[in-house]
Amino acid sequence: MSGTDAGGDADAGSDTGAAADTDAAEAGDTAGSEFASGGGFGRDRPPRSDGRLDSERRQGSPYTESQVIMPTVKIVAPFAFTYGLFVTFHGAGSPGGGFQGGAIVAAVVFMIAFAFGIEATRQWLANTVVVALAVGGALVFAGIGLVPVALGGAFLQYELLPIPDPVKYGMEGVEILGIGTIVAGVLIGLFLVLAKGFSDAGGFADADAFDDEVGEGPGTEEGDESTDDGATEPGTPGPAATDGGER
Amino acid sequence: MTGALASAAPLGAPVVAQVTAIEASLFVFVVLTALFTALARDVLAAVIIFGAYSLGMAALYTFYRAPDVAMTEAAISAGVTTVLLLLTLAKTTRLDHEAAFESVNLPAAGAAGLLFAGLMLTMGDIPAVGSADAPIWSNPDVTQWYIAETYAETHVENTVMAVLAAFRGFDTFGEAVVVFAAGIAALIVLHREVFA
Repeated sequence: MSGTDAGGDADAGSDTGAAADTDAAEAGDTAGSEFASGGGFGRDRPPRSDGRLDSERRQGSPYTESQVIMPTVKIVAPFAFTYGLFVTFHGAGSPGGGFQGGAIVAAVVFMIAFAFGIEATRQWLANTVVVALAVGGALVFAGIGLVPVALGGAFLQYELLPIPDPVKYGMEGVEILGIGTIVAGVLIGLFLVLAKGFSDAGGFADADAFDDEVGEGPGTEEGDESTDDGATEPGTPGPAATDGGER
Repeated sequence: MTGALASAAPLGAPVVAQVTAIEASLFVFVVLTALFTALARDVLAAVIIFGAYSLGMAALYTFYRAPDVAMTEAAISAGVTTVLLLLTLAKTTRLDHEAAFESVNLPAAGAAGLLFAGLMLTMGDIPAVGSADAPIWSNPDVTQWYIAETYAETHVENTVMAVLAAFRGFDTFGEAVVVFAAGIAALIVLHREVFA
């Protein structure tokens, strides 16, 4: 479900998807008229003389505020999140488990980021949360494995755990608190860090942009880049930012 | 979508050597999307078609009653991978193409065709789908043992999860650490110290 959502979302930005045409038109209009930082994945910008779509403008947040996507995500996200938790917690009795459930939970965050802007989502999800999910999951998995070792058994020998029905609840602890949190944390982190790109100006993207710009000097390029980076966060539209914060 | 497929499939009927219309159309869909993924000249189009391919594979796995695999395919491959690839495209330059499709490299296509033909020669020895005589199913020491003993040993109904978390728990620990390491590696490659 989340997969089709993301696909439709991307289609909305480009003109390749016929099914999402109205969506695309709306997103394009909004981006063109109101938000200078608009753009997204689309071909709505004219191609340049060398046949390349301008790359430096897409270095910012690929975000277009859409009246279709935002309410859809508002309605779908709670159900998808609940389904992710169900798949994680009910993995012992039905198909699923920590890996699938963690991925669905992470996909809910992707949906929110597509609807309300990646920068707003980044501010809403502090780095501490993402790191705590990933590191905490690894520590819990290793901890549950090492408790039986401390009690004289083998690694992950669940029946030595000092809890009732140790094999079942030991496994569920590993699935829910270990694998699920690692997968959710790492996938959210990968998404956010990929959206941010290289930290310094020496990345491929900048070198590429510099090669393209024959007329402009390196100083201007650097300046453009830094203002772009700085402007993405305040440049995110106000209502989206507050919405993202509330959710 | 998958629910409709499951209810439309003849669940009680033997599935040996039968290809239903739904099954056949899913196969055609998967093969076509795989070909278009390889041939599409525009990377954005290829990524989106690849997402459709993954969704078709997820439906196919559901149809063959592997819901755990289907769920992983739908969440990771159709969802997360597509989003991460789109995000990467948004950060890079996309060439504007005149042609819709790549030109086919004939020697490579010939080599792929030969490999395909060679693999098809082995099809005669592969047991039919759903066959009770298939070694992977009838093996009394592995599959049948897990099916018979999982609940008594672990008090868990889902045999797949019991194998992953209990019987092969150490392997799964290694996999979880690999996922964790992938996050760290992304930070290192992108020269960053924080995720958010």
